Amino acid sequence: MGAFHGVTIAIVLFGIGVLGLVIRKDLVIKLLALGLTNSATILCLVSLDSRTPGAAPILVPGVEAIVDPLPQAIVLSAIVINFAILALALVFVMLLVERYHTTDSARIERETNAEEETWS
Amino acid sequence: MELVLLPLIRFAIGALSMGVGRRSRFLAVLAHLCDAALLARIALLLARGTALDATLGGWADRVGIGFSGDLIGLPIAALIWGLAVAVSLHTWKDELRAYFYVLLHFLIGAAYAMVFTEDLFNAYVILELLTLASFLLVGYERKPRQIWASLRYLFLCSVGMSLFLLGIAVVYYHTGTLNLSALAAHVARAPAAPWIPLAAALLVGGVAVKAGIFLFSLWLPAAHARAMPAVSALLSGVVIKMGVVELFRLAGVFPLDLTFTVLGAATGLLGMLYALQTYDMKKLLAFSTLSQIGYLLIGFGAGSQASRLGALDYAVAHGLFKALLFLAVGQAVACVGSPDLRALTLNRRTIPRGTRIAIAVGILGIVGIPPFAGFAAKAVLESGVHSLFVHAMVALISVGTAASFSKLLPLLSVRSAARCRGATVSAYAWLGGGIALFLPLSATLVPRSILSASWHWPAYLEAGLALALGYGIHRILRGRSFRLPQRVFRVEEGTLAVVAGVLIVFSLLRFA
Repeated sequence: MGAFHGVTIAIVLFGIGVLGLVIRKDLVIKLLALGLTNSATILCLVSLDSRTPGAAPILVPGVEAIVDPLPQAIVLSAIVINFAILALALVFVMLLVERYHTTDSARIERETNAEEETWS
Repeated sequence: MELVLLPLIRFAIGALSMGVGRRSRFLAVLAHLCDAALLARIALLLARGTALDATLGGWADRVGIGFSGDLIGLPIAALIWGLAVAVSLHTWKDELRAYFYVLLHFLIGAAYAMVFTEDLFNAYVILELLTLASFLLVGYERKPRQIWASLRYLFLCSVGMSLFLLGIAVVYYHTGTLNLSALAAHVARAPAAPWIPLAAALLVGGVAVKAGIFLFSLWLPAAHARAMPAVSALLSGVVIKMGVVELFRLAGVFPLDLTFTVLGAATGLLGMLYALQTYDMKKLLAFSTLSQIGYLLIGFGAGSQASRLGALDYAVAHGLFKALLFLAVGQAVACVGSPDLRALTLNRRTIPRGTRIAIAVGILGIVGIPPFAGFAAKAVLESGVHSLFVHAMVALISVGTAASFSKLLPLLSVRSAARCRGATVSAYAWLGGGIALFLPLSATLVPRSILSASWHWPAYLEAGLALALGYGIHRILRGRSFRLPQRVFRVEEGTLAVVAGVLIVFSLLRFA
């Protein structure tokens, strides 16, 4: 049953992350929410896809039954990718803060749109 | 072997470019030559009927990453190569930093890998790589509005890719494989299994964010309109197509015909309406990308061999003329200093002649005047469509395209003495040549029987009528403005739309 507890928690976390993306205006909090959705996805993948009951897939003396190692290999890449995305997004948020002195997404949206309007 | 070398050489040259500074444009030429040789060899092998399938690293089929060269992959790979050459010609004299070329090579290499991969998780990694490369490219000039557009792109794509990964989790739980052909066999054995709609909705919804489909890809107009022209051309010609290619591949596994028709119709219509209402010329191109992607999906969802080949053909054609239009309009906008149609029309004398000829050729392609690219591909697509409703949708989108591109006509009306640089002209000529010679090129992809069946008088009649109607609508709408809601393009609405879109796709698959 452990797998399905993991999946339930993952779905709840994913929902919280999406909610954070939708209702919070602060860009840094939005990024945290994005990180939460990504981590929830990884939790879901690990707990759903360890299909056979067993220990972590590290073969040491005494360990006989291990879970399917492929999902675990997969999430390693996914974690690295998500880390890269968050890091780069933070750099871009920093560039925006240098220009507008705010992390409020609604204000940045207004300012950038105003720049476009002034062309016409 | 060749399939694997193609992306790897790009990645290697991308890494090398970091070390050579501004000379990296010469390395790019080397990369293009290597690719041309490899692509020619792949085409030769495929023509001889040699199977190019490979499982990487000698793993068993269930866990190894499968690569397969086939008819979906090759034309799109050729398009990617053609656009890479065009972009490198167009930016030849721009003194861009090595950073640009590094990202360019990573983007192109990832795109090559995308068209040949058979593995769902490999597709996920490549899509994320494409996201990162295009995210950095959109913000290349460091203008705040570009940075904000690319951040919005990153937010939505990251949510989409999370959904895709959830889809992968469901698929792996139920089948124990991530290989698309093994998966197709699984689904064919038990087509009514209850997990199929859920997995398909998550996978399709996730990719749709990258594929430029309305409701999912609300980041697209800002990112495509605010990036620099060479980057917009790549985004519209290559990156969007990668999402579409993955959707085509998923259609080989899951029963997605109805979903594609519905999503395609929605994308086509909404993209067309937004294109009609905007006077920002770069936004016009971005919205018309949406409506053209609708075309591709409708064609692929119609389900016959001819319409699928036509959709694939149209993907290549769209890549060519949209890239040309983005490069040429971007040049015009740079000359005038504003993307607004009125400013462009007032200052049209400062736009170089070569640029205006390029815009004209792009318009000939996109509105579907025979015998240029748009018409040639559209005729094949439509010859395979049998439902009257779908046919009407396709015709309606053609009319809308003609109406929105009629806005550009005043730019072409006067003479001008300004000239553009040789490198820029050669980029235009390269893409324009592709548009003009599209018919003989597409004869290598589409079988002769389908091609000759598509060239009959109703196709000409329809093309002519669509043009006339479109121009009429343009005349009626001229001087009137209507505004559609712009709030939907914010991150918040975009995220909600992605979640809602996944639910819509799920209910289409589950209940219809």
